[in-house]
Amino acid sequence: MKDFITAKQEFDKLVEESLKKYKPKVPVVFTKLSEVTKAITSNMIIWSRKNSLWPLQFGLACCAMELLDFGASRIDAERKGFLVFRATPRQSDVMISAGWITKSMAPEVKRLYEQMSRPRYVVAYGECSVSGGPWYESYNIIEGIDQIVPVDVYVSGCPPRPESLFDALLKLQEKVGGKIDN
Amino acid sequence: MSLVKINIGPVHPSTHGLLRLVVTLDGDTIVNVEPHVGFLHRGVEKLAENRMYMQIPPFIEKCDYVAKMAMDEAYVATVEAAMGIEPNERAQYERVILLELQRIASHLLWLGAMLNDLGHFFSVFMWTFADRDKVLKLLEEATGQRMFYVNMRLGGLRQEFPKDFEYHALDVLTYLEKRINEYESFIENSSLFKERMYKVGVLSRDDAINLGVSGPVLRASGVNFDVRKDKPYYVYKKLNFKPIVLYNGDNFSRYKVRILEIKESIRLIREAFKQMPDGNATGMPIKLINPAPKNKVVRVSREGPRGEIMFYLVADEQRPYRLAMRTPAFINLAALNHIARGNKFANLFPIIGSLDLVMADVDK
Amino acid sequence: MVRLIIDRKDLIDTISSFKKKGFSYLVKILGIDYIDYISVLYILRNLDSDEEIEIEVHLNQNDLWVPTIINIFKGADWYERELYEMFGIEIKGRKVRKLLLEKFSENIYPLRKSFKWGTK
Repeated sequence: MKDFITAKQEFDKLVEESLKKYKPKVPVVFTKLSEVTKAITSNMIIWSRKNSLWPLQFGLACCAMELLDFGASRIDAERKGFLVFRATPRQSDVMISAGWITKSMAPEVKRLYEQMSRPRYVVAYGECSVSGGPWYESYNIIEGIDQIVPVDVYVSGCPPRPESLFDALLKLQEKVGGKIDN
Repeated sequence: MSLVKINIGPVHPSTHGLLRLVVTLDGDTIVNVEPHVGFLHRGVEKLAENRMYMQIPPFIEKCDYVAKMAMDEAYVATVEAAMGIEPNERAQYERVILLELQRIASHLLWLGAMLNDLGHFFSVFMWTFADRDKVLKLLEEATGQRMFYVNMRLGGLRQEFPKDFEYHALDVLTYLEKRINEYESFIENSSLFKERMYKVGVLSRDDAINLGVSGPVLRASGVNFDVRKDKPYYVYKKLNFKPIVLYNGDNFSRYKVRILEIKESIRLIREAFKQMPDGNATGMPIKLINPAPKNKVVRVSREGPRGEIMFYLVADEQRPYRLAMRTPAFINLAALNHIARGNKFANLFPIIGSLDLVMADVDK
Repeated sequence: MVRLIIDRKDLIDTISSFKKKGFSYLVKILGIDYIDYISVLYILRNLDSDEEIEIEVHLNQNDLWVPTIINIFKGADWYERELYEMFGIEIKGRKVRKLLLEKFSENIYPLRKSFKWGTK
């Protein structure tokens, strides 16, 4: 019962705030209905989209062990909204790419990215996705995932601790909400 | 009757890695399984020819990223055999303790991942991961790193055990014994588990020797071979080690061998803590090494949690001329075609789960 | 470590006679590139008495082929495929396909000494 009460209070606060911006100086209200609903719903849409980003299960190599730790019970991913790791790209928002990319795997990554529905975001997790990692002289490695898909947040480390993945996803939430420029 | 070909693509919801299977079906029974591998191949054997001896362990550890200490120790033992160095007795006891702790952590992750394949969607996975976190905290206390502990040096370890390490370790071991008994009792009582594991995926004794598999897959088919007993290294003789052999060769035997190995490892660690002498266990630091190999061609095999790890080294002055690796998951996956023929299609993933694969091991 | 160096024409007879004596477990098939010749090693193990033996064959750079031993050991399948794609050694007696670099149809053989690092 507690959750129900606080969500309703938040909804009331949002309605009041959005109505305040459109108060004219004359004590008579002349607005279009579409502008009122747009003001209410755009804030609602951004708030709900920000707090429920569902990741795609894309752990390729050793950084996948830290992704499993990120979803397990000590460092909980559920408390901030990353509820389920979906297996199909049509139902997910964020692609967390963990592991190195070889030449055989590159067309599959591109195909998976194009199957995700908009708005979609990409997080590059670990040194091998950022810049190729320790395999820089190898004949079968692509250096960094940003040669194939556009990336929003980079996390460096080998492997980075799961707490730093949490920090990166909080920054992604700010970017979705519109506070950080670009 | 017409046959149907199905593609199970490289990205699929089980935690083994990138593996593509082309399955030929006749109704509901499997006729042929063909694995296509190579999605994680980066050429470790070629990269090792351009690096010096102690720059290579990070490459070797990323091969089997679940049991990292076992691969690291096998490589450092190869270089020690080439240079003619032997660790002293306290260093041998400490290495055995760290190796057996790593074996417990690897088998706990296997248990969660295999029950995930059977259909318990992430519930037993959460419990075994919480237990595995306690063992990883012990290893972090001993080595200072959470995941890639490059801890072995020539002649010993990088640093000694801290002061209270023994008390913390014995606390965790008593907790783990109770939990393993709980897991055994409730997993084996469920009738769904019995239907999908008894007499499913049978590998006979002659086939197992002819195909060249190793590790728990070989010992579950009735062959009494374990590298820790037949070619003993370090102090396993003093600790009275006995291998675990079962005789049926189906999924259930492969599961039971690993559960009994966890209990055997707990007993070995307790004995090692009682018998350990005093002394200094740190090895040579990296910069002071003068590489002058005494034996030019060396071959060393060790027992990892998945099977037998073998390194073959042709040594030059500063860097290896040729480093060849035999990883256990490579040849365990090649035996999948022989095991899975004649079974139902829904039983394919429990069979893969009981072989315990890590895909970066297969594509070196 | 005991090592035998034999000719290529005696290979199948030697391996099958060792298998009858009890060396029934194949550990690995290796290849090493010394610059004048390429040598191929077969490592066998006896499970009852724990002995191991290495059988070595030298090949010139002009004719690189080895007969297949898949009728003796079923586990030699993937080792021979890896030998073909890394060194360029042909296997006579069966059709071999590449294992790890399946999608590349050019003739690059990575583990030879003539393949320099840094080529992509």
